[in-house]
Formats: sequence, C-alpha cells, structure tokens
Amino acid sequence: MSANYIPQPDLEFIAEIRGLGGETLKKCYQCATCSVACPIAPENSPFPRKEMIAASWGLKDKLISNGDIWLCHNCGDCTDMCPRGAAPGDVLAAVRSAAITEYATPKSLAKAVNDPSKLPLMLGIPAAWFALLAIITMGFGGTMEKIFHFLFGDALGGRLHWSHAHEGAEHVIAHANFVSTWFVDMTFVPLSIFVTVVFFLGLKRFIVDVHDNAVLEGKTDKTSLDYKALLMSIKNVIPMILKHDKFTQCGTNKERATPHMMVLFAFIGLFIVTAVCGIMLYVGGYAGPYPQLNPIKWLANIAGVALVIGSGLMIKSRLTNKEQVTTYKDWFILGIVFALGVSGMLAEMTRLAEVAWLSYFFYWIHLIAIFNLFAFLPYSKLAHIVYRTVAMGYADYANRK
Amino acid sequence: MTTENSAPVSGSIMVVGGGISGLTTALEAAEVGYEVFLIEKEASLGGRVSQLKHYFPKLCPPTCGLEINYRRLKDNNSIKVYTLSEVQNVDGTPGDYTVTVKTSPRYVNSNCTCCGECEKVCETEISNEFNFGMDRRKAAYLPHNMAYPQRYVMDPAMGTEDREKVKEACKYNAVDFSMQESTFDLKVGAVVFATGWQPYDATRIDNLGFGRYQNIITNMMLERLASSNGPTEGKIIRPSDDKAPETIAFAQCAGSRDENHLPYCSYICCMASLKHATYIREQYPDAKIYIYYIDLRTPGRKYENFYAKLKEDENVFFVKGKVAEVSEESGTGNINLVAEDTISGDKIRQTVDMLVLATGMQPTCAIDKPTADLTFDEEGFIINDFSKGGLFAAGCANKPADVVTSNQNATGMALKAIQTLRR
Repeated sequence: MSANYIPQPDLEFIAEIRGLGGETLKKCYQCATCSVACPIAPENSPFPRKEMIAASWGLKDKLISNGDIWLCHNCGDCTDMCPRGAAPGDVLAAVRSAAITEYATPKSLAKAVNDPSKLPLMLGIPAAWFALLAIITMGFGGTMEKIFHFLFGDALGGRLHWSHAHEGAEHVIAHANFVSTWFVDMTFVPLSIFVTVVFFLGLKRFIVDVHDNAVLEGKTDKTSLDYKALLMSIKNVIPMILKHDKFTQCGTNKERATPHMMVLFAFIGLFIVTAVCGIMLYVGGYAGPYPQLNPIKWLANIAGVALVIGSGLMIKSRLTNKEQVTTYKDWFILGIVFALGVSGMLAEMTRLAEVAWLSYFFYWIHLIAIFNLFAFLPYSKLAHIVYRTVAMGYADYANRK
Repeated sequence: MTTENSAPVSGSIMVVGGGISGLTTALEAAEVGYEVFLIEKEASLGGRVSQLKHYFPKLCPPTCGLEINYRRLKDNNSIKVYTLSEVQNVDGTPGDYTVTVKTSPRYVNSNCTCCGECEKVCETEISNEFNFGMDRRKAAYLPHNMAYPQRYVMDPAMGTEDREKVKEACKYNAVDFSMQESTFDLKVGAVVFATGWQPYDATRIDNLGFGRYQNIITNMMLERLASSNGPTEGKIIRPSDDKAPETIAFAQCAGSRDENHLPYCSYICCMASLKHATYIREQYPDAKIYIYYIDLRTPGRKYENFYAKLKEDENVFFVKGKVAEVSEESGTGNINLVAEDTISGDKIRQTVDMLVLATGMQPTCAIDKPTADLTFDEEGFIINDFSKGGLFAAGCANKPADVVTSNQNATGMALKAIQTLRR
C-alpha cells in the first residue's frame, strides 16, 4: 500500500453493497479465514479478506477497480467457513454488481436493470415494440414490399425482397411471417453495435483502473500496461474458462460448475447457429425454418435443451441453497435465460405441432427475452462474461498466481 | 469464621461443583456460619485449576490457591463435602428446595492412608482423563497428588481378580467393594451452581486437524504436559515421537468467536497461550514460538504488562491472522499450517514441530443441563435471575472467566445465596 494513500470512506457505497446482497459485510472481524479457505485466491495479497475490510470501510475505489473481485467465482467456501456469518462470497457478488453499474454507460440504465420496480418497463418496451413489428409484418406486408421496391429497386440483381419466405411458404408456419426477419435484424444489429460500444467504453476505463489498483497494491510485477500482451493473456485464459478450471477447484458450491458450463456452451452453440443462419439467409438466400435433419438444426436443438436444463438447475440450486444470498440481480438474469430457452423450445415445438398462433405467441415471448438479455448485457449480472474474462486475462498478464 | 457475635443463621446452602468457584462460594458462606453442602462429581475437589501448571499472570502453581482453600475447608465444620456425587433434581422455591443427590461408590473408606499398595498390585489400566487420555493409569488410583480428599478410588472397571488383590494388599482395611450407589434428598434454602467448563471438543473444528494429526494438541493438553504431575513429568514433548519441539505455533480462537462452534470469546485463551509461551521458553530457550491470532485480548493492566513482556521476547512471534488450514508433512509428523498475515497481506505457509490449539471453554451446564428452574442463554450459560433468587450460577457456569473473576463472582454468589435465606 502506498504511503500516500488517503482513504475515502463512502457511506452510500456501504449501503449500496448491503442492498445488493452484501447485508452481512459489517459482521467481518478480519480473522482472514476466508483468504485461506478460498481455493483460488493467489498467495500474494489473497482475497477476500482485504475486500471485506474495504467494503466495511466504504473504500469504493479499492473495490470497484479491484481486479480480484472478478477472480472470485463465488465458490462459497469462504462463506461456509466464516466464523461470523459475514458471507464474503455474497459481499463480493454484490461488489461485482456495483462495479458493473459503475463501468456502464448510461448509469441510469444500469440502475434500472437492477431495480425490480422497473421490470414492467424493461419487459413492456420490447413487448410493445415487437407487437408493433408483428402488426406491420402480418397486416401491411404489401405496403412493405412497395417500400422495399421503391428504396432498393432492382439492386443486387433484384434479389433484395421484403419477404424471406421461400417456395411454398404459405403451407408452412414460419416465424418470419409473424415478425419479419428484416425487422428482427433491424432491431438486433444496431443493438449489438450499441452493446459493443458500451462495453468498449467500460473496458477502456476498467483495464486502466484494474492495472492502477494492482500497481498500487503491489499485486503485479508489471509497471506499464501493454495492451498487446494483455490481449495475448486473455487468449490464454479462454481455454481455462471453457474448461471451468477455476470453478472445479471450488468446494461448497462445486455442483454449480456443470449447469454453468451447460449455459455457457448453449450460448456459444446458439451464437454459432445465429451466425450461420444469418449467412445462409443474406448470402445464400436460404430462409428458415430449416428441416429437423439439417445439422445446424441439431446444434440449435441441443443448445436449446442445454440452456433450459442448465438454467433450470441454476434456479433450483438458488432456491434450495439457503447459505447463499440470492437477490433480484440473480433472479432477473436467471429468469431471462430460462424464459429465453423455454420460449425458444416451445416456439419450435408448437410450430411443428402446427399451432400457428401459439407458436407466434411463444416467438414473441422469445424475442422479448432475447431483447432483455442482449440490450442489458453490459448492465446486468451477465456482464461478468466480459469483465471476468478480462480480469482473469489481466491476472495472467500480471503474473498474479 | 463463626464468632460469638455473629447473627443467628438459618437454612442451608448447596454449592454444585467443587472447583475454584464452588470452593470459594462454599467457604465464604460457611465462614459466616451457614451450613453448606458441597457437591462434586469427580473423586477430588479442585476442578480445572488442579490441572494447571501455573496461574496467570503470577505464574505460581495452583497448589498455592487450592492449599489455602483446603485448609479453610478442613477447619470448618459447617461444610459437608460429597465427592463422586451429582445433583439429579432440584425441586421447590427460593428458601425451600429439595435436592436429589446421587453418590457413586468410591470403594475406599476413610481408613485410606494413600500408601499406594493397592495401585502396585492392580493390573487393570484405564485411560487417564485427568491428563486428557495422554497416558493410562491403574484402576486403583489417587486422582492426583493434590487430591482432596487424599483418598484412593477404585474404578468400577476393575476386574474380580484385581478386586481380590487390592483388598488383600490394603493393610488398613480401607477397600470396601460392598459400597453401593446411593440417592438421597437434601433440604436447602439456596443452590449455587459452580459447574465450571469443559474444553471445547477440538475434533469438531474440522479444518484444524485435531485428532487427525498427532502433533496438534490443545492448550489444556499442553498444560498437562508442562505440569510436573502430568504424563511426561513436566517435559513438553510432542506426542508422535517424544521429540523436543523447536518450533511451536499457537492457533488462537480455535473454536471460539466462531458461529460454527462457540460464538463467544472464551476470555482465557489469549492469556493461556502467552503463559504457555513462558513454559516453553523456560524449557527450551532456543525454541521459536509463533502465536497466530485475530486480536490478542489481555484485559487490564496486569494482563497487558504480561503481553508487553512477551512481545519483547525475541523468540516469540505474533502473527495477525487465524490459522485456517493444516496438514501433516509426510514422514516427519510436522504440521503445515496456512494463514493470511493481515498486516502484510500475504498468505503464510509455515511448517512447525507442534501446533497448539487455543480451544475455549464450553459451560458444563450446556452439555449436562441441570434439572432445575434455571434460565440459560443461547450458549448454555446460566443467567442469574436475582429478582427470583434461590438458584444462582458462579464462575464459568455463568460466563467465560479467569480464576480471579471467578473468585470475585463466587464470593458475590455466596452473598446472594445468604440473602435468599434471610429475606
């Protein structure tokens, strides 16, 4: 610790952490059992004991910009052995939530995502938006065709059409007939760009802060920040993340590793499916729905089932584990992921059962869930996918072992 | 002591437990003229104190305080001592209690001169609980060399053959196997529970390895090792190979201040470990002593001075951080321990010859609850209800305390018992 460090206690920050699931933080009496109990804490300046004292003193700067909070995988071993019931695991989870809000732009949106009273709005806006798009798709297809013809004419050799329905489409149920593929992509492509920009802005500050904190607290042997080397380190840790190496070192909450792995791989699978479908549609002109025998459909189905089972198991373990605090931020993201998986599977099954209106309804729910997941990615708990990866990469770069 | 000018007294007082607190209550009440029944479940009075090598902070042996009390006891006709006896039930109201007491047979009468002939011929051996099972003793034994009464005991585990032998060996006709267990009622006006404490069961502290690794012992075991009347005649050696330890670590708050075990501070363990450091320093001037602590609690000027003196010792090291993980070094029996030094913020991995767990105190009445109209707190300590009166707790039955505090408290409870009789 630098001799020039002047602590800046922030009482509001303490209240914020307590509200986010760290209610017990003041019980800590600094015995340091947690730092030893943690199976993944480094030898030099292990966590979470020092984070606990920073939290109870309201030293926001020592927590938000602290890369260590992201190295924690919420194993629960520290909480289990804590002699005071101070639950360091839950406190660190709360600090991470506060850090996500801190690095998000605009902050008001981050606050709204973490506020249960804003949930109707979070669901209502995309619900209304996709309902509007459905009305246009279903009721004003002719008008849209004219607009398209007027705008693009015979561009791309006349291959650019409003409708993506393929030959004999009137005999199959296609979700594109409910909300046009164009509309879906016109919603989600700009949204992805927006999310990327928000993450970029957040990461720009995050990386610098994490490095400064590590230098200040003597947690790294690097004095300057080499972005290229950092990028290489991030690449190094990705196989470790995929294999859940850190997760499996955990004791108490060890069984969380499998559901988490299922959900992660389901998302990777669904990302591949979405990318392939996009290419097939816009490059190959081949529109969905695909037959069940298509390999891409197999991947989609496996991933969908894994997503439902994985998130379902997570919800079940959260419901039964009384040792671990579960707050709104956890329920929100688990609910969205589970709803996304279930609505997707149901939309497909009802389509195959040829109940068009029911299938469209589930697709509508599916779109709302995707919107919530996607648009709020940098603001919700799911942002850990970016911050934890970068923090683990930084730890590798900084030789923090 | 009763004098001709003392006020006339009526009613009797029962004191349950003949440790340092119970002795004090009994003597203080008896010396102002009250009849006192002192009930002790062991074969000898003295309790935990008799297991110690030294008191802190004066570092004098417990014979000191106990001897004076036994002298007072012998001089006083108002106290009736019942050893090997337990209170089974307390019935009634303040001023008028009927207490049921059960006495187990000692099989030795007052003819015993402690000549030790019975011990020599007895072949049956039993675990010596006075030394926490670190050695064995004959089934014909004197509880310890400070026993009160100074009289042998025949353990019921003794076989028929041995019983014949010891009977024959006794020249004083002191052995009597016809003695029976007896249950009787006593009428008293007030009861003071001075049932004391048990060392917390260290095997329950999973991460500290007691019971799994031989060279992890408890503070009370060290006390016995260091005592001249202990299993090693006062030599502090480690259990696995009788080696003189060169490095010894103490893990403070082992099971105390811990919601998973005893949520409260046991009050004595910090001073006890500091005292133990003096035992080791005296025996092994070159040994290195490491005390791992959360915070050292040495209240009061005398205890603070004691701590300050040890801090100056170049062979005693204090590490702020609780030992949270232990393992055994293969081959050597040494103990590897892990803690975080919260001052430097580094994880410490140290290998020591022996690890002493500073285990705390659990009230005996939490484990073996008296059948009486008492109020207990969450941890099993007896709460004194002075407005109700009649039944009181003294010493560690009431709160974790050192000897000084226990004696002050025990004196106060003698007065409370007297007040019950006179109002």
